[in-house]
Amino acid sequence: MRILPVLRDKKRYLAFEVTSGQKIKRREFTNELHDSARSLFGDTGLSEMNPHLISYDGKYGIIRCTRDRTEETRAAIACINNSGGIPISTRVLGISGTIKGATEKFIQKMLVKEPEPENK
Amino acid sequence: MSLFDRNFYDFIVNPSPEDKDSIPGLAQQAKKYGYSGMALVNTQVTETDTENLPPDFSIYHAAGISCKQTKLRSEIQKHSKKNDIIIVMGGDELLNRAAVETPGLDILLQPGEFNHVHARFAHDNSITIGFDIGSLIRNRGDARIRELTTMRRNLIYVRKYDLPAILTANAATIYDLRAPREMAAIASLFGMTQKEASDAMSTTPLEILKTKSQDYVQNGIEVL
Repeated sequence: MRILPVLRDKKRYLAFEVTSGQKIKRREFTNELHDSARSLFGDTGLSEMNPHLISYDGKYGIIRCTRDRTEETRAAIACINNSGGIPISTRVLGISGTIKGATEKFIQKMLVKEPEPENK
Repeated sequence: MSLFDRNFYDFIVNPSPEDKDSIPGLAQQAKKYGYSGMALVNTQVTETDTENLPPDFSIYHAAGISCKQTKLRSEIQKHSKKNDIIIVMGGDELLNRAAVETPGLDILLQPGEFNHVHARFAHDNSITIGFDIGSLIRNRGDARIRELTTMRRNLIYVRKYDLPAILTANAATIYDLRAPREMAAIASLFGMTQKEASDAMSTTPLEILKTKSQDYVQNGIEVL
């Protein structure tokens, strides 16, 4: 059933970057994110945060969460330290209200920046 | 100006001595995350390391001391000439007491048993209390609960006695480092505000470096 627009949860989209030795699969990253969030805030906190992995390509990705719990989601993302024994480090590039905004403002900007050191 | 538009420093970084690329790698990652400098604990920096450092990135030398409380004073005196920053890894009550009573010390990292007496001495000797965010990232379950409890209690003393505080990732590899905003988000788990966290990574480290400059005499007095 359709939810009235005024009654919908307000959302935020967090663009993030993963640094790791090997590529982490989408499923593994989702598991780590949920593990980390559950370990920090418990089941109640997770239901309030409602984190969802929207897109992920092995390096950059977007996570959706509720507007009031962005700081908690950021902490949960930062607390991911390994995935199946591979150490990883994550950084939130920026927060936006739309997927388009998160992609254009943060991820595409990083992709444009990246090739520079290779040319030098 | 935003709270996170400053120069940030991470003062406790432990690069592994075996890995040759460890120091430039850590420096590059830290620079990418928005830090302007870091302090290496008990590490010799070779010439090749300094050549490979990114521009506008400063490296400081720190001495990390963990010993018995009877030897602490002599250890601090021994290391204070060669190093920029003196750090004591917090331990039991007696060690923490000996540490806060020594004026030459800069940072007491994650003191486990800390009370109002310690806090008063720390205030008199202007000793910074270090919060080890890395322990929250690496640990899970019971261990993390203990660390969070310790940090929440230490934060009460920091506020009550107006002590300087510092946040550090206590990183050994590039995967242990976190960007300043992430550090602030994790610090909010034990009740630290964004402003306090931002100050703990930018203002307090700069204050510590200021006390090390040659013109500095004591708090409030400076040779012009």
